[in-house]
Order: sequence, then structure tokens, then C-alpha cells
Amino acid sequence: MEHIEHIEHTESPKDMKAQIWKTFWILFAFTVIDIVLYFFLISYHSMIKNWLFIVLGIVKAYYIVGVFMHMKFERKTLMYSIIIPMVFVIFFVTLMIIEGDYTNILRWFK
Amino acid sequence: MATNTLSTEKKFTWGGGKSPFNVSYGKLMMWIFLLSDAFTFSSLLIAYGFIRYSFQSPIPNTIVKPLSEVGHNFVEQMNEAGLFLQDHWPSPELVFNHFPFIHGIHLPLFFVSLMTFILIFSSVTMVLAVEAGHRMAKNEVAKYMLLTIIGGAMFLGCQAWEWTTFIGEGARLYGNPYGPRSFAALFFIVTGFHGFHVFSGVMLNVIIYINVLNGTYEKRGHYEMVEKVGLYWHFVDLVWVFVFTFFYLI
Repeated sequence: MEHIEHIEHTESPKDMKAQIWKTFWILFAFTVIDIVLYFFLISYHSMIKNWLFIVLGIVKAYYIVGVFMHMKFERKTLMYSIIIPMVFVIFFVTLMIIEGDYTNILRWFK
Repeated sequence: MATNTLSTEKKFTWGGGKSPFNVSYGKLMMWIFLLSDAFTFSSLLIAYGFIRYSFQSPIPNTIVKPLSEVGHNFVEQMNEAGLFLQDHWPSPELVFNHFPFIHGIHLPLFFVSLMTFILIFSSVTMVLAVEAGHRMAKNEVAKYMLLTIIGGAMFLGCQAWEWTTFIGEGARLYGNPYGPRSFAALFFIVTGFHGFHVFSGVMLNVIIYINVLNGTYEKRGHYEMVEKVGLYWHFVDLVWVFVFTFFYLI
């Protein structure tokens, strides 16, 4: 087993600096969208509004993990071993939405 | 020097002669740690969502408009107006509406938006430090690390101010003047846990910064430690995105 795999230290694009700033402006823009929507929907409370902000959060998370944490440029094995276990979080969220709904009904609808 | 010659090639090789993940042991372990930490934060935020969902939704506020003038006894006024009730989750806009040095104006989300921008910006300086590390530009790495540390410290200062204001209004782990008891308790626990992560991140950044100045990584031949601590720092920013969403936006 004398074969030594030489690691390509960065498979990231050469203009990494430009990409970083681009990502920064994307994150900045999404945060501004968050704030604008917040003031637009300030006295409105509903599940749709909550999901809207959660989806915007996930979009920002994609850019932070993908570019800032370099995940986009890592090998697929690493990517999947970190991303796939997050399925458990989705599972837990689903369970707690069902359970929270039930608790809410038991507590407030008499 | 013997240790140095071995570094760049052997460092990434596992027992079988191959590195399945194409990253070093340390970096892989940082990812695994971050995954476990993501579970912890998810659990805290899901607990928040569950408890909030089991209360009734906030009462729509038609009384106070953003940027309007408010009195010193704002919390009592809201209690009298029936916007803070024990059965209803309080609307975050009526709770987090303070800004340093500006008194008597209803400014929902302003301060926390500032905190968010500070953290995003410190994330950018961190990733620029990593990028400079790839080019072995010691001075640039040091410069960006310092900026990241300043950003982190600013964020912690903001959070300390926010906690002080919140506690000053009567919010405690065991109760608060805004409504359900668990409201302030969850706020302190989740933002506190995140704040402690930021604090640890700043401490790690300081250690790495000192090492960069001492030329430790220059001698080692690579700046991978900056990348590892960078991963942690970006994770803290990532968690803040969701804390911001759940505690302030929704």
C-alpha cells in the first residue's frame, strides 16, 4: 500500500475572493428581505408567515454551509455523511408539530 | 524538520493508504462535532417551537406602530391594553423593541438586525482569513483574524446589552411580564447557549490569532487550523440565522 493519495487542497474556484463577496451580498440581501417582510407582516400571525421565514433561513443556511464552510467543494462522501443525518431533525420537527397541535387542542378547545 | 516533511502528504492518509473523505482527521472531526452540535441546537429550537405552538398565537398589535413614541412604562401599558396575556405567546415586536442610546421610540427588530449584520460580516472576514491562509499570506491572515475577533466581541457586547435590558424589564428564568413563563426562560437558555458558543469561538480565534502572529502555521507549512476554527465560527453564524428567525422574526 505504498500509494499515497495526494490531496488537492482546494478544489474551490480560483476566484474564491469574488465568490466570498458574492455570497456575502446574497446573505445580506436575504437578511434585508427578512427585515422587509417582517415589517410588512408585522401584526399578522399565521403558520404561512412562520414557514416563509423558516424557508428563507434554510436558503441562508445553504449559502453559509456551501460556500463559507466549503461544503460545496468537498468530496460527496463527506457532504452526505454530514447532511443525511439531518433527516433526524426533520423527523423530530414532524413529530413535534403533530404533538404541539394536539397539546394546543387539549389545552384551549373545550 | 522531520515532522514537517511528513505533514502535507501523510497527514491526509488513513490506515488503508487512502483518505475516503479527502480531508484531514482534524477537519473531519470538526464536522462530526458540528453535526452533534447542530442536533443540540435543533433540539432547543424544536422545544421552543413545540412550547410556543402549544400556546395561543400572539394578539395582533394594532396600537403601536414602528417608530412611534412610547412611554417608560411600555410593558405596563401593553399589559393594560391586553396585548400581554398568560394564555397567549407575546408578539416579539413588542418585547425586543429597544436600541442603545435611543429611548422612548418603538424600534422592533432594529437592534437584532444590527447584531445579525455584525455576525455575517465577521463570518466574511473569517472566510477571507481562510482564503489568505491558502496563499500562505501571514499578514493578511492575521488582519482578517483580528477583524473576526472584533466582530465576535461586538456581537457579545450587543447580546450583553440586550440581556441587561431584558432583565431590567423584569424577565427572569422563572417568569416575565410579557406572558407565558417559558417565553423568557427559552430566550435566556437558547440565546445564552448560542452566546456561549460565540464566546468560545472568540477565545479559539484569539488562540489561533496568537499562533498566526507567532508564525506557528508558517513553520508548519499550512494554515489548516484557521480552516478548522473557521468551520466552528461559520457554524455559530449558521445557528444565529435560526435563532434570529425563531425568536425575533416569527
